[in-house]
Amino acid sequence: MDDKTNALREHVKGIFSNLELVLGWEPGYDPLHTRPFYVRTESDIDRLTANCLSFQNLTRYLAKSMNAVDPAADGRKIGVCVKGCDSRSLVALIQEKFVSRDRVYVIGLPCRGTLDARRIRALVPDPARIRSVNAEGDELVVETDRGISRFALDRAIARKCLQCRYPNPVIHDVLIGDPVTPRLKIDAENPSVAAVEALSLEDRLLFWENQLDRCIRCFACRNACPLCVCQNHCIMETRMPKWITQYRNMNEKFMFHMIHALHLAGRCTECGECERVCPVGIPVALIKEKINAIIYEMLDYESGIDPEAVPPLLTFSPKETGI
Amino acid sequence: MSSKSDAKQEREIKIVGFLCNWCSYGGADTAGVCRFRQPTDLRIIRIPCTGRIDPLMIVKSLIQGADGVLVSGCHPNDCHYAVGNFYARRRMEVLKRFLPYMGFQSDRFRYTWVSASEGQIWQQVVTDFSETIHRLGPNPGLHQTVDSAPAVSWF
Amino acid sequence: MSGKIFVAHDALSGLLDDLSKKFKVWIPQMMDQASGHIAFGVYAPGKKPELTRRSRLSPKKILFPSMDTLFKFTYVKDPKDPVRYTIDLKESFDNGPTLVFGARPCDTRGFQTFDQVFLKGQYKDVYYERRRQNTLFATLVCQDSDTACFCSSVGSGPADMTGSDMAVIPIEGGYVIEGLTDAGRKLVETSGSAPSPEQAAAAEQMKRNTAALKIGEDDLTGYADDLTRRFTDMDFWREQVSPCITCGVCTWVCPTCYCFSITDEASGMSGERMRSWDSCMFYLYTLEARGHNPRPTKMERYRNRVGHKFSYFPKKYDGMVSCCGCGRCIRTCPVSIDIRKVVKELKETADDRA
Repeated sequence: MDDKTNALREHVKGIFSNLELVLGWEPGYDPLHTRPFYVRTESDIDRLTANCLSFQNLTRYLAKSMNAVDPAADGRKIGVCVKGCDSRSLVALIQEKFVSRDRVYVIGLPCRGTLDARRIRALVPDPARIRSVNAEGDELVVETDRGISRFALDRAIARKCLQCRYPNPVIHDVLIGDPVTPRLKIDAENPSVAAVEALSLEDRLLFWENQLDRCIRCFACRNACPLCVCQNHCIMETRMPKWITQYRNMNEKFMFHMIHALHLAGRCTECGECERVCPVGIPVALIKEKINAIIYEMLDYESGIDPEAVPPLLTFSPKETGI
Repeated sequence: MSSKSDAKQEREIKIVGFLCNWCSYGGADTAGVCRFRQPTDLRIIRIPCTGRIDPLMIVKSLIQGADGVLVSGCHPNDCHYAVGNFYARRRMEVLKRFLPYMGFQSDRFRYTWVSASEGQIWQQVVTDFSETIHRLGPNPGLHQTVDSAPAVSWF
Repeated sequence: MSGKIFVAHDALSGLLDDLSKKFKVWIPQMMDQASGHIAFGVYAPGKKPELTRRSRLSPKKILFPSMDTLFKFTYVKDPKDPVRYTIDLKESFDNGPTLVFGARPCDTRGFQTFDQVFLKGQYKDVYYERRRQNTLFATLVCQDSDTACFCSSVGSGPADMTGSDMAVIPIEGGYVIEGLTDAGRKLVETSGSAPSPEQAAAAEQMKRNTAALKIGEDDLTGYADDLTRRFTDMDFWREQVSPCITCGVCTWVCPTCYCFSITDEASGMSGERMRSWDSCMFYLYTLEARGHNPRPTKMERYRNRVGHKFSYFPKKYDGMVSCCGCGRCIRTCPVSIDIRKVVKELKETADDRA
């Protein structure tokens, strides 16, 4: 995303008196990090940022941390900043009635991609001391203690952004900035999924085992996911029924990720948060992307586009044949 | 997985069958009453309806080492609860297409529709699935450690 | 003998090969090239230690595995009276000689917290104790801090060798390895040849220079009472913790977080009692059997995490902060919560309001 900080602050200042709070981002502990930020008072607005480091999908907080269903007593709405991918999560939450459309004021931010901190660390000579990170056109400029590096933006943005189909928010009350051209057509093949599918069956198993073996079960992927809404009732942690034991072996790690993926079948909006937050670098979203591709092919459905639609695995059609 | 061929002879094949109470469980019963000859690899778990099937049950069975998983219920439009199997077939078809992506042999999982009167068809289904699983051999399960993995340019 | 040896860069794998015959040697290694994931793994010939980049996961699991079988049990039926049975217990220990090579001072120092809790109190944890006694640490004098590092803020530093048996000092062309404890010296002396006087001097110089570095701006010790004062100020905690997604990353990567859960995993007539890591950031951590949870939201849970490290622990153990300043929780936090900032603001806001 290009830097929209000023435009965002201007807009929020104008409407803040009508809002209960605004979910946005603020700078993190260093120039490569960003923190979700709850704007609660007028003076907080100047801490807001919106740029290529606005990673987090803020709709996560709507369903899990606050009441976004009942209308507010004083009629004030919750403001939420969304990128294209985040807006799809919001639509999915509206579909499932975790968020009421009337309760939120959606500030849409067209996005050309968010950065992947790991890729940047691999690109710059002195990743330990980064002073500033800025996108300038199609270039990314990173200043470290050892000088300035410039490279193509595409080398530093997240995997999900390279295959982005919806850079522009699908729902919004206001759009800040001009719409962006999508990188991929809606029916284009997912290149990452294709790379895994090119392997033989045995190699695919080895690939996934090798990836999932690193899992430390911190549940960051689950907790960052806007659509993992079961919260403290997740079957990962119940002893009855006991889907998962305390063993840290391959069977349990594999099973955990199958649970996560299958519970998101037809619901995942590919915001990529699970993959970004993984502390051990497992391409978690890659599992869900395949399920999405299957559902698109089989049922011609894309999650998080139409607020009126019902997720396909929560409904049926008697007319279907061939399955 | 290297011990695949050795394992082939070592143990008997176990197939988990999830059968709906109203049709396929009755169908299996009919087949038994009619004394149709059936392979003995199937262990049947009775479920109220295929709508009860959580795809995770199938995944868990395969991960835990079941050699095959068979789900069978009422024919579409004949569900005792009217629509349970309509939900089920979507879920199971998604799973069936998804399993190979994770490295599972999708032939180890099959879903089918058999009514309570179709003893003969049940015999065919079980015989055929059992033969398929025997051809595939015992499920080697997951590797517990991975020494070398294929490189994928997924990124 | 001086208790020091010099190992050239290209001789390092030879040394590790030799050591791995006597020890289970753990080194920081690249686990996945694509994501640049570095963690501690067992050395095997051909594996390269990653000594120039920090590991994302701490070596905690070497002495405190994420899953540890305490004993195995089997119910044995009495053949004469099948209603009666006895329980057959088998203790389970996995604690051969172990060497941790290339951990950073913060990593090694993390075990000081464990020692306090698991060894020095009224009860000793035999599982931890046996592993501890059989493990040697060859700790790297740390050359490269990043913006999340703050070891000097918690009373340590990049050349702090507390708890280490050997110091691994990087110099031009290789490493000088210096024995610090008896066991360390003994091992060093049988493992190579002494450095030249120039190399020894360079190593001393390197140690001195590194020890003089100050990693982390503020002193984060001495906040014990500030936390007590802030304890009920929920506005403060809401402000700090709002972005938290209550995952367990910070506790899992932390070298000093020692909380665990004990479960029986049984099937049929036999099973295991095992200990596995638990995280105070999880809802289930304090959930009581009746359904009450004294820490129902992330505010109480995060307050506990900060309080434990910077207030309750120092009050109990002579002012020792149970944080080693490695910065892993800051680096891996999905929402960039900075524990340094939270601790610092304990005081500042406390003063502001007083």
